[in-house]
Amino acid sequence: MSRKAFIYLRTARRAKRLAAEATVQKWVVSGPPLLFLLVFFAAPGLIMVLASFRYPGEFGGLAPLYSSDPKVLHGLALETYGFFFSDFIYTEIFIKSFLVALATTLICLTLAYPLALLIARSEKKKRDLMVLLVVLPFASSFLVRIYAWMILLGPQAALSRTLSGILQLLGLAPVHLLFSPFAVLVALVYVHLPFMVLPLYTNLEKHDPALLDAAQDLGASAWQRFWRVTFPLSLPGVFSGSALVFIPVLGMFAIPELLGGTGDILIGNLIKEQFLVTRDWPFGSTLSIMLTLSVLACAWFAAKLGSRSRHHA
Amino acid sequence: MRRHARRRGLALWLGALAAYAFLYLPLLIVVAYSFNDSRLNAEWVGFTWHWYDVLVHDREMLAAAGNSILIATAASLAATVLGTMAGLAMHRYGMKVLTFMVITPVAMPEILLGVSLLLFFIQVLNLTLGMISVILAHITFSIGFVAIVVRTSLGGLDDHMFEAARDLGASPWKTFRYITLPLILPAVIAGALMAFTLSLDDFVITFFTAGVGVTTLPLRIYSMIKIAVTPEVNAVSTLLLLLTLTIMMAASRIAPNALHWRT
Amino acid sequence: MRALLLSLLLLNCNARAEDVLHLYNWNNYISDETVARFEKQCGCRVDQDYYSDNEEMLAKLAAGAKGYDIIVPTGNALESLIRQHALRPLDKSRLPNLKNINPAYLNTPFDPGNRYSVPYAYTLTLIGYNAEELQQLGLPTDTWAVIFDPGYLEKVKGRVTVLDSPRELMAAALKYLGYSANDTDETHWRQARDVIVRAKPYWAAFNASSYIKELTVGNIWLVHGYSNDIFQANLDARKAGRNFHIAASIPKEGAVLSLDSMVLHKSGPRPDLALKFINFMLEGRNSAELTNLIGSGNPNMDALQYIEPEIAHNPSIFPDAKTLARLEMLHDLDRNQRRVLSRVWTEIKLY
Repeated sequence: MSRKAFIYLRTARRAKRLAAEATVQKWVVSGPPLLFLLVFFAAPGLIMVLASFRYPGEFGGLAPLYSSDPKVLHGLALETYGFFFSDFIYTEIFIKSFLVALATTLICLTLAYPLALLIARSEKKKRDLMVLLVVLPFASSFLVRIYAWMILLGPQAALSRTLSGILQLLGLAPVHLLFSPFAVLVALVYVHLPFMVLPLYTNLEKHDPALLDAAQDLGASAWQRFWRVTFPLSLPGVFSGSALVFIPVLGMFAIPELLGGTGDILIGNLIKEQFLVTRDWPFGSTLSIMLTLSVLACAWFAAKLGSRSRHHA
Repeated sequence: MRRHARRRGLALWLGALAAYAFLYLPLLIVVAYSFNDSRLNAEWVGFTWHWYDVLVHDREMLAAAGNSILIATAASLAATVLGTMAGLAMHRYGMKVLTFMVITPVAMPEILLGVSLLLFFIQVLNLTLGMISVILAHITFSIGFVAIVVRTSLGGLDDHMFEAARDLGASPWKTFRYITLPLILPAVIAGALMAFTLSLDDFVITFFTAGVGVTTLPLRIYSMIKIAVTPEVNAVSTLLLLLTLTIMMAASRIAPNALHWRT
Repeated sequence: MRALLLSLLLLNCNARAEDVLHLYNWNNYISDETVARFEKQCGCRVDQDYYSDNEEMLAKLAAGAKGYDIIVPTGNALESLIRQHALRPLDKSRLPNLKNINPAYLNTPFDPGNRYSVPYAYTLTLIGYNAEELQQLGLPTDTWAVIFDPGYLEKVKGRVTVLDSPRELMAAALKYLGYSANDTDETHWRQARDVIVRAKPYWAAFNASSYIKELTVGNIWLVHGYSNDIFQANLDARKAGRNFHIAASIPKEGAVLSLDSMVLHKSGPRPDLALKFINFMLEGRNSAELTNLIGSGNPNMDALQYIEPEIAHNPSIFPDAKTLARLEMLHDLDRNQRRVLSRVWTEIKLY
C-alpha cells in the first residue's frame, strides 16, 4: 500500500474511532436522564392515553384489559369519549376554563408589563435585585400564597369590611369577596405574575435604546414610541410569558377549590374529582387527554404567533 | 425633554411599586398574623409566640416537616445529577427528544403529571403510594429546572476550551471533572437549591402521588385549611417561607444569571 | 452521611419490631383516652390515619393504600369492600363482647350474618337549626321543605348550608320528593337535581366541615348536617354563652342513617391485634366514650349505662323504634350509576 493511502486509512480509522467515542459519550451523558424521563414521564403519559379507552372498574379504578370471565367488562372502547360529548356541560367547563385562563393572562400582562419595563430600563446593578424581588414570592409554597388571599379577602378582614361599609352607606347589600370568581381570579393572577414578568423582562432587556432615540428624533410621542417600537419588539416575550401563564392556569384546581364558590369549578377540579372521589379513572383520563390536547393546541398557536412576530420585527 | 422623561419615569415607578406591594403584602399579612394573639385572622389583638409553641408540639406537623425535608433532599440530589447530565447533553448535542421530555414537565399543568404518575404507579408498577412514589415524581419535574439552568450556564462558556482540553489529551471524564464542572458549579448548585425548594413547596403532584401515610408540609397545610384554620397555619407558613427565601437568596448569590431564560 | 442513613434504617426496623395496630378511621371518631387505654391493655401501639369521607377512603384504597388492620366504613362503603373481597372474615370466637350489640343494628343487608363487620357507631343526617331564630320566623322544622322550598327559604336566605356530599344531598332531595334515598331512576335524579338547583340561590354554601362553627357563632341558622355535629354545635353555643340553642330534628319524610362498622382489611399485618381491638371497643364503657365525646349514636346496649343522660335521651341521637322505621341506609352504586351521579353533581354545582 502506498504511504499516502496508509496515512489516509489510519486517519480514517482514527476518525471512525473518535466518532464512535463521541457517540458513546453522547449516550453516556444523555442516557440516564433520557431513560428516567422515558419511564417516569413518557410511559405514564401513554398509560393515561390507554386508560381513557378502558372501562371503569366495578369498584373504582380501571377494568382489566383481558378477562376470561365473560361477565367481567374488559377491553377497549370509546365509551368515555362518548360520555364526554354526551352532555354539553363538560365542553362548557372547558370553555369556561379557557376564558378564565385568558382573563388571567391578560390581567397578568397588564400588570407585568410596566414592572418588566421598569426593570429593563434600570441600571444593571439594580436590575438583578429587582428581578430577585419579583421571583422571591414565587419561592414560597403555592398553598401559603393561596392561604394569604383567604385571609385578605375573608369577611373579617379589613378589605371586606371597608367595602361592605361603603356599600351599606350606598344602601346596597354587602359583597362577599371570598368564595367568588373574583377571589379565584385574583389568586390566579397573583400566583402566575412572576411567570409573565420574567420572559417579558428578558426580552425587553435586549431592546436597543438607539431605536427609541431614533423614533423620538423622528417626532414620535411617548405613547407612539411604546406602541410602534417597544411593544412589537417585545411580542416574542409577550407570547412566551402568556403561554407560561395560560397553560398552567388551564389545569388549576386548588385555587377554585379553596377560594371559589360552588359554581367556580374548572377542568382541574373535575379531573381531581374523577380520580379521588368518583373513582372513575377512565373518564378522568379522558378529561386529562382533552386537557393535554388543548394545551398542545395553545402551545402550537403560541409558537406560531411567536415565530411570525419574530419575522415581522 | 428631561422633565417629560422624569414624569414618565415617576408613573412607571409608581406602577412598579404597586406591583411589588401586590406581590409582598399578602405574604407579610400571613407572617404578621402568625404572631397574633387571636384565633381569627381578622384584627391585631396582641403579640404572642403561642402559635409557634403549638406548632413545635404538633407531632403530625413535625412528621410532615421531616418527610418534606427527606423527600426534598433525595429528590434534589437525584434531579441535580440527572439534570446536569441533561443540560450538558442538550447544550452539546441538541437532541430534540431529550429537550422535549426535559422541558415539558416544567411547562405543562401539574395536574396532568400528577394524574398520569398515579395511574402509572398503580397500574404498571403496582407500587404502594408512599415516600418512593413522591420522590420519583419530584425528580421528574425537577430535572427540567436544573437542566435549563445548567444549559444556560454552558451557553455562556467558550466551547473552544473543551476542544483545547481534548487536544491536550484529556479524557472526556477528566475534561468534565477539571474544566466543565468547576465552571458550571455555581449553576449546578443553584439548580440543586431550586430543585430543593420546588420539592419542599410542591402541592399538586404530591397530592396525587402521596397516598396515605406520607404527609408533607404543603399537604398538611391543605388539610388544615380544609378542616380547621388556626394561626398555626400562619406559623408553619412563616417558617416555610423563611426557609425557602433563605435558600433562594443563597441560590441567587451563587449563580446570579440563573434566572435569565432564553425566550 | 452513611451513619445518618444507617441510623434512620435502624429506627425504621425498630418501629416494626413492636406490636402496632394500624387503624384507618374517620377524623375525630375515637377518643384519645380510649386509644391510650387500649395501648396499655394490649401492650401495643396504635398508629392512626384519617379520612373525612367514605369516597376518600375508597379512593385511597383503590389507589393501592395497604397495611391497614382496621377500617371503619359506612354501610355502602362496607358493601363495596365486601364485594371486592377486600376483607377478612371475623373469627367470632375471639369476640365474646359481640352480644352487647343491639340486634336492630345487626344483620344489615350489607353484611348478612355479620361475617365481616361489627357495628361501631352511627349518625343521622338531619336538619339542625337555631331554635330561637326559626321560631321567630315561624318556619317548620320537621320537614325537608324548609331546606328546599323557596317559599320558606326566602325568609332565611343566605343563612342555610347543606352538606357537600352528592349522596347525602341527593338523598335529602329524593326524600323531599317522596322517593327512597336509594332510588336510582335517572328521571327521579333529574327531578332531585332541579329541586336542588332551584333552592341553591338561597343557600350560603355547600359545606361539610366548618358549618358547625357557623351555627355556633350564629351566622348560619339552618343546616343539613350530621347529628353528632349538630350536638357539638349546641354544646359549643352553650359554652360560649349564646342566647340561642341549636336543635336537631328528623324530618317527617325520613332521613339517612349512617352505620359505621369495624372491619378487618386483608392487607393488615396484625389481625390478632385487630380482633383484640374490636372486642375492646365492644365493651360498653369504651364504646360509650365516643358517644359522650361527640354525640354519635351507639348500637351497643351495654354502653347505655355509661352514656350521659342528656345524650341518651336525645331523640335525634337515639331515635325510638318508630322513627327508626323512617330512616334509610344508603346502598352502594354501580359504576354506571356513579358516573351519572357525578354528572348530575357537576350540573348541580354549575347551574
